Amino acid sequence: MELLADVSLLPGEERIIDKDIIYMCHFNGAVKGKVLITNYRLYFKSSDADVTVMLDVPLGAISRVEKMGGASSRGENSYGLDITCKDMRNLKFALKQEGHSRRDIFDLLFRHAFPLSHGLPLFAYVTQEKYAENGWNIYKPVEEFRRQGLPNNKWRITFINKSYDLCDTYPTVLAVPFKSKEEDLRRVAAFRSKGRIPVLSWIHRENQAVIVRCSQPLVGMSGKRNRDDERYLDLIREANDTTKLTIYDARPSVNAVANKATGGGYEGDEYQNAELIFLDIQNIHVMRESLKKLKDIVYPNVEESHWLSSLESTHWLEHVKLVLSGAIQVADKVSSGNSVVVHCSDGWDRTAQLTSLAMLMLDSHYRTLRGFQVSMSKKRLSNCFSFFSIGHGDKNHADQDRSPIFVQFIDCVWQMTKQFPTAFEFNEHLLLTILDHLYSCRFGTFLYNCESARDQHEVRSKTVSLWSLVNSKMDIYLNPFYTPESGRVLYPVASMRHLELWVTYYIRWNPRIRQQQQSPVEQRYKELLALRDEYLKKLEQLQLSDSSTSSRLANSPTPNTSSNTSPSQQYTHLHTPF
Amino acid sequence: MEFSEHIKTANVEDVVLRQPLHPPSRGTLCITGHHLLFSDREEGSSRQVLLLLRNIDAIEKRMSGSSGTITIKCKDLRVLQLDIPGMEQCLNIAHSIETLSCLDCVSEMYPFFYRPADLSLQDQWGLSTPEKHYSQMKELCERWRLSSVNRDYSVCPSYPSAVIVPNSIDDSTLKKVAKFRQGGRFPVLCYYHKKNGMVIMRSSQPLMGANRKRCKEDELLLQAVIDGSDKGYIIDTRSSQQAQQARMTGGGFESKSCYSHWKRLHRQMDRGKALQESLIKLVEACGDESNNMDRWLSKLENSKWLSHVQTALSTAGLLAECVERDGHSVLVHGSEGTDSSLLISTLAQLIMDPCCRTLDGFLALLEREWLQAGHPFQQRCARSAYSHARLQQESPVFLLLLDCVWQLWRQFPLALGFSEALLIRLATEVYASDYGTFLCNSDQERCAMGIKDKTHCLFQALLRPGERDFYSNPLYEPTELAIWPSVHPQSLQLWRGFFLRWTQQARHLEEAQEEIRNMLIEWGKLALS
Repeated sequence: MELLADVSLLPGEERIIDKDIIYMCHFNGAVKGKVLITNYRLYFKSSDADVTVMLDVPLGAISRVEKMGGASSRGENSYGLDITCKDMRNLKFALKQEGHSRRDIFDLLFRHAFPLSHGLPLFAYVTQEKYAENGWNIYKPVEEFRRQGLPNNKWRITFINKSYDLCDTYPTVLAVPFKSKEEDLRRVAAFRSKGRIPVLSWIHRENQAVIVRCSQPLVGMSGKRNRDDERYLDLIREANDTTKLTIYDARPSVNAVANKATGGGYEGDEYQNAELIFLDIQNIHVMRESLKKLKDIVYPNVEESHWLSSLESTHWLEHVKLVLSGAIQVADKVSSGNSVVVHCSDGWDRTAQLTSLAMLMLDSHYRTLRGFQVSMSKKRLSNCFSFFSIGHGDKNHADQDRSPIFVQFIDCVWQMTKQFPTAFEFNEHLLLTILDHLYSCRFGTFLYNCESARDQHEVRSKTVSLWSLVNSKMDIYLNPFYTPESGRVLYPVASMRHLELWVTYYIRWNPRIRQQQQSPVEQRYKELLALRDEYLKKLEQLQLSDSSTSSRLANSPTPNTSSNTSPSQQYTHLHTPF
Repeated sequence: MEFSEHIKTANVEDVVLRQPLHPPSRGTLCITGHHLLFSDREEGSSRQVLLLLRNIDAIEKRMSGSSGTITIKCKDLRVLQLDIPGMEQCLNIAHSIETLSCLDCVSEMYPFFYRPADLSLQDQWGLSTPEKHYSQMKELCERWRLSSVNRDYSVCPSYPSAVIVPNSIDDSTLKKVAKFRQGGRFPVLCYYHKKNGMVIMRSSQPLMGANRKRCKEDELLLQAVIDGSDKGYIIDTRSSQQAQQARMTGGGFESKSCYSHWKRLHRQMDRGKALQESLIKLVEACGDESNNMDRWLSKLENSKWLSHVQTALSTAGLLAECVERDGHSVLVHGSEGTDSSLLISTLAQLIMDPCCRTLDGFLALLEREWLQAGHPFQQRCARSAYSHARLQQESPVFLLLLDCVWQLWRQFPLALGFSEALLIRLATEVYASDYGTFLCNSDQERCAMGIKDKTHCLFQALLRPGERDFYSNPLYEPTELAIWPSVHPQSLQLWRGFFLRWTQQARHLEEAQEEIRNMLIEWGKLALS
């Protein structure tokens, strides 16, 4: 037991079982040790003195638990458990064959890894963690609209969806063209897939161009029209007096055409004053396949001999490129004064990716630590990403809708931080933390799909937000190189030549790959910052003592002798986040 | 010969210049014996572009009607385009560029004419000499001596006038050994590891030939190297098969029977033509600006450039491991001992020795291991990736070194005292320079041409106060530890700062680095005040 004595459990976390076990490590071979399962995590520590192997896996990250071998299987370590995780790794454990030694651990692990399938609560509802700040307060829809200058004489806030009857996957607070009437909205909703009408995501303060998102129009095989929808889109165009509204359909055009067969489709010529552009971004099935291929070449063994061409054959970076370049087109259109509408099929996933990335490029507020939290909360939680399809607490591992889209989105953000090292207030560690807790089920932030489901499950009142954790120790998530430039629009280069595989995420389980983290640089920079602060303090003290003896002041050779200006004021242009 | 013979049209008005990262501009083009000068005429701007003709690797001309377009591809990978009115003027300019950009006569090259106001020809040339280097290493004198057997470069034309050899080996022995090594490059000391007294030696291949000749003196010299230790390693930068084949042309390797205390390790490193072709493929892939799904990663892989980087780093790692971890002395050679041997001995020193990782230390290392050690810069860097000329002795070994150093820099962002800008500057200067440093192929040639009296030294120029700041790493934090690079393909990256430097994204990163540097400089001032 002393082996596991140092595990610090979270408040509300309870031990379920511990057991001697052999971890079949892909890198170090079979490692003897002890496993501990709690209602939150699977923890393993090796007992051999010479190899320290430690595993700490939130149960939420497990997508599948299977038995390996049977009581009569031959061969060493052939009897045990095979665990597949959502975070790009697989774990194998071997147990003694005598006395059905794995029965209890398998059953318990299965129950707690998939609590919802067994009538148990998710850990987010069990944890007793307390934080000074309530992360749920980070995003208040009306406040966020107000920050953007809304409502104004062109755009109004509507509560038409307050009981989720217009659209059950939209939030209660929506911004729509000022001239549109509530009954118009209902008629438009009837013509848009899942009732996801075009609503405002972001407005450009100076030129009043907007990003509007929605789902596909229900055109169908017969080519249905809806005059209300047409008029509604024209109202969006009119709002800032441009001649043309650009509609970005994230899908490849063939898919958009194919969607007609199932009642969907795209905006045709009947939409006068609008142009339609397809962005060629593949659907989530293709993305999932691509991510799976990527996993195959990095885990457990990293493809060595033809690394680059193998990487190419996964097409992962190519998809990242298409998403980024789509977002660049959106951002470019908007910053040149044209309003845009973005949709795909249902108007989540790809649409959310594109609009969020475009906003990150356009609005420096979202590039701050808190602003990023707002944009995440806003886009992902209230209405866009199909999070449920990540399969929280659900044993159905074959669920076809499990989405790699969020991972891809964070990857795109990472690519941007690589290209603009001083433009983001947060660092890579934040992105890794977000991805870890996407699956962990420790925070309510990523649970459920849309606001209505979240209300129903009382997420805000019964769970803790990830942002509570992040904002309780902001230091470690801050990028010391950050220099705010409020007006700047970032246009990353979306060429394959400038995209990199995010090694620190995708290959982080492999101990043989050096972790190329920026952290030594950040660490060093922070040390230098601390040193600077020390000097500043000393300088201030010296000046204080200087100004008390005015005769010495006159002789002082230092340039900063003007005693009424404090040094920190003089150097305000050296911005630091501290 | 007069340069003016080659210049029929010296001035052209109304030329349009298109270059990366800038909008096209209209102005006057001027051609001189060494430069192409373009001055912007547009209102309110006084931009000038001064291009060393030596920097031009290839030109293409295209005529249409009464005007023509010249595309200039530079050795620093920049591609410029000039739209010139008047067919004759265009042809004249193109002809001048073609002739003047590849003049072979060293004494007519620009460094002999370059006279900046803030440098004097009386300044010290170079950073150090073998004599100084020896006298600074007090530990050496016990077992090692400085020999001037090569004082008139007659024993080995590509070695400097003084070299470090074992104490017990006299000059007459050295002369005999030199006869047994290709090009006279007998084993000399290039690095002394203070922690355990082990050394790195380098040489060329022994001239064993088909009938397995031996040389007692050579064996004696190597025995003296490992004196008191049980064994040493020989890292041969060829495969064992290649080493065997070399015997047919008079070369060979140290056989087990004659050098019983030495263990040979073969690591095949591509060289010469293979490297040059790899660079050509890489640059071609980088320059393909079509943004479609262009199989970039396959092209990158097919160029094999990154696998050359990997081989170099891992062989250097092996060398450092022998010395630092195993505690044995190592002799490095391939065939000529002027290319890959220098590459890996340099990298190994960076890995092991913190003194080499400062800005001054790194430049001194390059001076010792590349200039004094006789890397034939003039032959290797005559042309670069765009040239249509038939390949002769060109090979981007030095560029490969800089790329490997960049990989180290990237993996250990705090451990090196210099910045990426230095590496990019060196990669540019080695092909075309205002300074005399990279002219000629050896110390001997440099002496004969009077380089040290008639040109300025790049390294000295880089260490001037203003430049020094720019080329230092603001986050540098010295460490005594060895820095072991990861050589997995996933850990190696394309050196975008150099190969894609003329694209927009490199600009962003440069800006960011500039910002970081400025902040630190401001704080530095603050700390001093």
